[in-house]
Amino acid sequence: MKFDDQKIRNIGISAHIDSGKTTLSERILFYTKRIHAIHDVKGKDGVGATMDSMDLEKERGITIASAATYCEWKGYEINIIDTPGHVDFTIEVERSLRVLDSAILVLCSVGGVQSQSITVDQQMKRYKVPCIAFINKCDRSGANPFRVIAQLRTKLGHNAVAMQIPIGLETELQGVVDLVTMKAMYFDGDSGEDVRIEAIPQSLLEEANAKREELIDAASIFSDELTEAILEEKEITPELLYAAVRKGTLKREITPVYMGSAYKNKAVQPLLDGVTYLLPKPSEVENIALDMNNNEEPVILNSDPEKPIIALAFKLEDGQYGQLTYIRVYQGTVEKGSTIVNVRNGKKVKVGRVVRMHADQMEDVEALCSGYIGALFGIECSSGDTFVSPGINMTMTSMFVPKPVISLAIVPKDNKSQMAMSKALNRFSKEDPTFKTHVDPETNETIIEGMGELHLDIYVERMKREYNAEVTTGNPRVAYRETITQRADFNYTHRKQTGGSGQFGRIAGYIEPISDAEFVFENKIFGGSIPTQYIAACEKGFKQSMAKGPKLEFPITGVKVLINDGASHAVDSSDMAFQAAARGAFREAYLRAKPVVHEPIMKVVVESPVEFQGPVMGLLNQRRGMIIGSQDEGVMCVIESQVPLAEMFGFSTILRSATQGKAQFTMEFAMYRQVPQSIAEKIALEAAQNKKTAA
Amino acid sequence: MIKKEIIQRNPLLNLGYNDEYILPTGGFGAVLAYAGVGKTALLVQMALHAMMNEQPVLHVSLNDAVSKVDVWYRELFHDMAAKYDSVESNELWEKILIYRFIMTFRVEGFSVPKLEERLTDLMQQNIFKPHTVIIDGLKFDESGRGLLLQLQELAKKYSMRIWFTVHTHRHEPPKENGLPLSFLHVADLFDVLVQLAAKGPEVYIKALKGQSPDAKQDALLLDPATMLIKQQT
Repeated sequence: MKFDDQKIRNIGISAHIDSGKTTLSERILFYTKRIHAIHDVKGKDGVGATMDSMDLEKERGITIASAATYCEWKGYEINIIDTPGHVDFTIEVERSLRVLDSAILVLCSVGGVQSQSITVDQQMKRYKVPCIAFINKCDRSGANPFRVIAQLRTKLGHNAVAMQIPIGLETELQGVVDLVTMKAMYFDGDSGEDVRIEAIPQSLLEEANAKREELIDAASIFSDELTEAILEEKEITPELLYAAVRKGTLKREITPVYMGSAYKNKAVQPLLDGVTYLLPKPSEVENIALDMNNNEEPVILNSDPEKPIIALAFKLEDGQYGQLTYIRVYQGTVEKGSTIVNVRNGKKVKVGRVVRMHADQMEDVEALCSGYIGALFGIECSSGDTFVSPGINMTMTSMFVPKPVISLAIVPKDNKSQMAMSKALNRFSKEDPTFKTHVDPETNETIIEGMGELHLDIYVERMKREYNAEVTTGNPRVAYRETITQRADFNYTHRKQTGGSGQFGRIAGYIEPISDAEFVFENKIFGGSIPTQYIAACEKGFKQSMAKGPKLEFPITGVKVLINDGASHAVDSSDMAFQAAARGAFREAYLRAKPVVHEPIMKVVVESPVEFQGPVMGLLNQRRGMIIGSQDEGVMCVIESQVPLAEMFGFSTILRSATQGKAQFTMEFAMYRQVPQSIAEKIALEAAQNKKTAA
Repeated sequence: MIKKEIIQRNPLLNLGYNDEYILPTGGFGAVLAYAGVGKTALLVQMALHAMMNEQPVLHVSLNDAVSKVDVWYRELFHDMAAKYDSVESNELWEKILIYRFIMTFRVEGFSVPKLEERLTDLMQQNIFKPHTVIIDGLKFDESGRGLLLQLQELAKKYSMRIWFTVHTHRHEPPKENGLPLSFLHVADLFDVLVQLAAKGPEVYIKALKGQSPDAKQDALLLDPATMLIKQQT
């Protein structure tokens, strides 16, 4: 195990769906000699790409779970996390960006900056991840890398500069001109493994010179030496130019752009060079932990292998040898046999096997030192837990986990499936914080919840394939919520006398709507009309009422409860009595507080050729969608809208048929909004029917 | 309640304009100012007042992406409603949002036939019929009178009013009527002209055309902190 931080790069590969991230990862593994044959995402050999290790990923041609791997390139160790492109799996993208130091933003040379690229870019900004861009698919018809560079500038606000220009485009793509060394690069051999370096073709010399000027001009802002060399008309060496571009890249003030075609094996090796030259080593990235002993004061970590351990578990997997926990070590060294503490529960654990991951294969190592990404065996924890050396009490900043917006009832076909299903659900919910499961107490059905139709679809498929759990699914159900719209007072007495000691409790106060919290409880009782020891029971009773609305039975949110009076009895009052009184008080006030139903609203972004703009808007409008706006992008347009999730089932098929398959869309949760009266009535009817069926 | 209060505060009437909407049907209005003084902020506030009066506003931007224009509206609305209850103001925001549609074009890709095509798409399907249009980012020194005449026809055809932002340059001294030279060739097409003029830390809103003769000058300002319109105290 080498401890040279200088030569470590932790990178992610992020992009829009179908931009070729996994194909690029496959080529990187091939050129770094981690694999010896290339298998394509939807290849004819049926093997599938190495990074898409789940059968389902290979079949559907999309990446679902991140796969972590490491490879070596010219003496540098590169840890790569391949991230999913579909927005339903965005938690995977967020998690990987949290633990990475830098990223390659892959863009399609035809599609350019698409909606998901914007989402991914925002995530990168949030975690301050420096990046380089790779414009892929330059062999495709309509490829125009310089249009994509312009979009990087205008749409994402990047100071994008070309590091290369293509030699030919579309079917004529032969290689690239490196603007730093001013050499032409061609990629020979069956899989482009032999890099041939030649002089720049005469026809491209003028363009190359002009683009190099642009590169030097952009880079000179970050280096006095470079500016001096320009002014004194000295030779600008590759080292000088790389150093300047690197400075800008680390500050996120410049985005170097590489280009090529991973599928056609063109120009992946120079991109790897770019990763080693321009992206940061772990100690160059500022990581912050929160000191739990000091009021969560932020502490800047020192990427020193000798310091106490601070590591983050960012992904769990249940493999054939037990639970595999992916960790990123921020400080210290996690060694085989050492003891670490889970900050969340204070439990001490002994580190057993330590491994480095290569998709679904692994390699045993003795230790993981600061800056490294690897995995541990046999550690019980949840995703997002922090591990530290004994005596330290720090936690890495918690990761934002969105709440599920869609649910599905699943019923196992037989007893065997029932067992397998619960095993599968247990694993999935531990691995993925956005995937939740529970049993509906009324229907006795198992309910799974997640971030979208595809998200749940994939888990149902995985249950079948990986656990042989045959399940039938009900219709997807939207996670409606209830809330109140006005203040309502309550004054409720709970009294029960059925032999033995009775129950007595009176609570008075009011409930009112709040917008920035789910539930707030305020105690304004003076003079002890409700003894202090029963206040917690009152709060518990109100909280219990929030779980299910009295009429439609959806969870209630956005309620403030204030109690200001009450009464107790020396003998008959108890926690139970006050909990019951609180539930009664809530019921009493709730219907007078004008409850309404809220539904999840999705931000739907459709990219379509302009000729279909009208029909697409029509489709969104028919779905109770509110169109925020339309953006003209030449031949394409982008329509941004907010549509209720309930109306989005099956939208992909409808969109495809309305636009001859030329439009695509992405969807992500935006907010909850009140449903219109007519829809609320329909929902109430459905809820009543469900209740009847359950009974 | 909050809606009523905000509507009552529509301050542009203080500049001496009589019509509630300031512009007549098919009319043109413009806000002139140097870069960064607050043209968009002023027009967005006028748009918000229209939206609160349930008058649909089409915001056409030739500079910014849809998301950025949306942020203008969101921020200014929340500043306007800052002193009111947040539940109520969020509700109002959701209610008025349906009266706004943002369209963005690249400057070079903008043309009146294209705009009309998009408008017809919206109107035929009953998705949106604008009462007021805001065009932000049109370059008056480059766009000829022809384009404005086409827009005027469009405004009359669909019974709309159009507001423009006019970017004036510091190196170009205004003529006696306060208008920059590069705007003079089209000034006659406009019913209302409003100028934003920075004087020290204050930004004054001045009526240059269309106001009643006895209107008070320097009655309105843009608050430099929030960009909200406020009355001179």
